[in-house]
Amino acid sequence: MIAGWRQIFFDKGVGPLFLGPSLIMLIALLVGPFLCMVAVSFTDLSFAIPDRGGNFVGLDNYRKLIRNDPIFWQSFRTTLKFVAAAVSVEFLLGFGLALVLFHFIKRNRVLLTLILLPMMLAPVAVGLMWKLLLQGEFGMLTYYARQLGVLGAQTAPLSSYSLVLPAIILIDVWEWTPFVALVLLAGLLSLPREPYEAAIIDGAGPIRVFFDVTLPLLRPIIALVVLLRSIDAFKEFDKVFILTGGGPGLATELLAIYTWRINFRHWDFGYGSVVAFMVYLMVLILCSLFYKAMGRRQEGKAR
Amino acid sequence: MNRAWRNFAIGVVLALIIISLTPYLWMFLASVKTRVDALAATPQWFFAPTLEHYRTVFVQKHYLPLVGNSIMVASGTTLLSLLVGTPAAYVFARHQFAGKEDLFFFFLTTRMAPAVSVVVPMFLLFGKLGLLDSLYAVILAHSSFNLSLVVWMMRSFFEEIPPEVDEAAQMDGNTRAGTFVRILLPMAAPGIAAATVLCFILSWNELLYAMILTAFESRTLTVGIPGLVTPHGTLWGQVAAVAIAATLPIVFFAFLVQKHLVRGLTFTAVKR
Repeated sequence: MIAGWRQIFFDKGVGPLFLGPSLIMLIALLVGPFLCMVAVSFTDLSFAIPDRGGNFVGLDNYRKLIRNDPIFWQSFRTTLKFVAAAVSVEFLLGFGLALVLFHFIKRNRVLLTLILLPMMLAPVAVGLMWKLLLQGEFGMLTYYARQLGVLGAQTAPLSSYSLVLPAIILIDVWEWTPFVALVLLAGLLSLPREPYEAAIIDGAGPIRVFFDVTLPLLRPIIALVVLLRSIDAFKEFDKVFILTGGGPGLATELLAIYTWRINFRHWDFGYGSVVAFMVYLMVLILCSLFYKAMGRRQEGKAR
Repeated sequence: MNRAWRNFAIGVVLALIIISLTPYLWMFLASVKTRVDALAATPQWFFAPTLEHYRTVFVQKHYLPLVGNSIMVASGTTLLSLLVGTPAAYVFARHQFAGKEDLFFFFLTTRMAPAVSVVVPMFLLFGKLGLLDSLYAVILAHSSFNLSLVVWMMRSFFEEIPPEVDEAAQMDGNTRAGTFVRILLPMAAPGIAAATVLCFILSWNELLYAMILTAFESRTLTVGIPGLVTPHGTLWGQVAAVAIAATLPIVFFAFLVQKHLVRGLTFTAVKR
């Protein structure tokens, strides 16, 4: 009798019993807030203006976003520029580094960990570090760049309207290229040997082998790492928050910075929720691309 | 020829490592420089070091409790995510049910959710519940991304254990839950260790949730750093001291789990 009860609980019941808590937690921490965000986006809730306590305003906030908020769309464009530039440079450099590591070094744990260091540091600390390096008056990098004639004597990279976005892209490249390289290296190490042997028997040179064998085999991992980096770069907040706060002017006002400003500087949660919702939707679109890449990868494995 | 190429490649990689480590070294130097050396117009590489900034920040300015807060938050979310996530990972690894992979992808989405969007309603909801300005709020918020990390990582670790192990244990009269606790958990210990360290690092480094959900008393170390950057001028020595204190333990941990880093951070099946 007791054995039967025990069996129901600890054998048959294991699925729901083990899965339940995590589902409850995710629903409470992500689905709940998501619905709350959508609900607030139809109101005028604000902590800054007294009589805006959350009255229903229909689609007003959405209308404002589409017709009447050039800054949102400017941030959107800045974000796209940042993502496109940072991720493509990271990919090219990372791929090059991965090939060098793959052909000459393979796995050297100490080396790989040293390479990973930038990524393990808190992004806030990374931002500060570079702020110190790029200071106008006493920054180490500014000094040497001026000595080499790369920078004008009076130019400070972080307060120059034209240099600030490239500077932030450079910092992101510094932080994430090693990661891209390591993922691609892991991919290269897991490739099967047979296609290479076949290609060599067919008399293909190293360049042909790279374009006709390596690249196609690696495509799922390339898609994966590019999408993963794009999603994370799209959400970039910490470094830019510390380095420039979105300035000078709106030069580095990325979507995440803008969302933060509307909600937690202007305390305009009604409109801020619409902005947050839009950012969420854009990330979801990127995510669905990510799933497609993943799905193709799993199909590839099954075959 | 081949050897020359190899040496060249090693040279390139070493140069890259130096490039990637110099900024960090420079910040470390800034944390042990006097104000005069730090603000000199020409970069000072050699100077008489001082520990005054560490003393000022951690003793006089009371940044020490912030270290305590960071440890509490990171340990809390790690414990919670492991307790809730490991059993779920086991179910994903061993059970078959309709819609399993879809549900699993739902877990993955949560890792992708933009913090800046989630934190807006979270701030409003936690405000209603009276949870703002408490470490609990940050622990819960950080668990929202750490939970999916644990589920994802631990599933792949459990899948590496052959199913025959389960069958043998159940022949010996163990229930499924008993098998999980007595046999699988100990076998997956290296995976649990890696997941623990990664959860800890991700929480320790996090800024946005911690910044918005805490106030003066409950803020974590990362939140304390921007506090030293003021419009009236930044106290670079002190900033650097805090930043070094906030990153050095993590560098140490990173070395511990190097093997599993790529797997945990990419959510891929790339295992090497």
